[in-house]
Amino acid sequence: MTSYENRSAPEGINYSQDHPLKDFGLLLLAALGGLLALLLVLSALAGAMAPLIPFSVERQLAESISSQFPAASLSGTQQQKQEYLRNLTRELVAQENLPEGLELTVHYMPGAIVNAFATLGGHVYIYEGLLAEMPSENALAMVLAHEVAHILHRDPITALGRGVTVSLALASVAGVANSSAVEWLLQQMGLVTVMSFTRDQERAADARALEILQAHYGHVMGAESIFAVFMAQEHDGELPEMLRTHPLSAKRVQAVEDYAEQHEQQGILTPLPEFEAAAEERSTTTGEQQ
Amino acid sequence: MYDLIVFLVLLTLGYGFGRVAEARHFKSIREREQLLAPVLAFSERLPPPSTTARRVTLVGGNVVVSVDYFKQVAAGLRSLFGGRVMAFESLLERARREALLRMKQEAADLGAAMVINVKLETSSISKGSKGQVGAVEVYAYGTALIELS
Repeated sequence: MTSYENRSAPEGINYSQDHPLKDFGLLLLAALGGLLALLLVLSALAGAMAPLIPFSVERQLAESISSQFPAASLSGTQQQKQEYLRNLTRELVAQENLPEGLELTVHYMPGAIVNAFATLGGHVYIYEGLLAEMPSENALAMVLAHEVAHILHRDPITALGRGVTVSLALASVAGVANSSAVEWLLQQMGLVTVMSFTRDQERAADARALEILQAHYGHVMGAESIFAVFMAQEHDGELPEMLRTHPLSAKRVQAVEDYAEQHEQQGILTPLPEFEAAAEERSTTTGEQQ
Repeated sequence: MYDLIVFLVLLTLGYGFGRVAEARHFKSIREREQLLAPVLAFSERLPPPSTTARRVTLVGGNVVVSVDYFKQVAAGLRSLFGGRVMAFESLLERARREALLRMKQEAADLGAAMVINVKLETSSISKGSKGQVGAVEVYAYGTALIELS
């Protein structure tokens, strides 16, 4: 009689006996690498094309999202300060050839934050805290010129263009990857890539600001003093330069000094106007009385 | 950041438990395959010609195996590139062999020494629903030939 048997199932043909982490690691590296390359290319393309967006369109865009920063109701002195900031900016850019349609609007923001920033639609925001720290008009002009330079270089729209493109790309990839876990990973990466201005943009803005100061005052004295203010703010925990969007303050001071060496420096520091001094005096006297 | 920690914990748990469970399962499968080796299974539709008169009955074995979180993520990544989804291959191998074993076990309990016309069916549970860990079912069935006593 014929004899039959079932041989035992062969091992390692239907499934791989490689370590699963090896496969996983390779996939993860390839996916992240590919994604990073894609994002870099897209971001560079978006960055190159965003400045081609007409300023009027940027202005409309800014209006549609301006509810983020509601216009603060300013007191008499504060309005005076805002007016002063606006006049100073106007004088600073008087020598510049502003592109057609470009409008600059400086806003004075009450609040102790030592900060200033430029955003879409040519809006520049200067906080009360920053104004209080400024040792001279030249220093304040450096801050204003730096923010104006961002707008002249179309940095806010470039940042927006990059951000939108990157998030759109991430959303599309998340749609392709049919797994909630992958989708979630992508969202996290999107958060990391949304950054403000790049360090190169900051350097370029510094350089442009120095040119503006030189043209207006005939010297760049006082410009470096803003970095001392920022350094005092950054005292806790210096991040390594790679992780920061602004170049290290020491390097920026060096850039100012290099510029000063290459250009003729004539003139003196301009003090801040009276209202600023008056406000400070008032606060010190009340301080003494208490 | 909190999300990332949850994700990594889930991934590690999935990997740890999944790996231990898989190793154990394979060990148990090999042992029981040795034990049930006397019960023969054939895909042939008819019994061997030499077979004498037997009582016949349907026997089946059913298995549902769940995908662990780690395998889910690994397979999700694989879906970007294509290729062997190794994470699922071992899962299905376990399910098939386990289903056959359960079928053989039933046949052995009935006193059968042979199962003919063996077929395998598979289906996935919670297919397509997003964010849910999927599970796969494998069903093995055949005709058991039971010796007349």
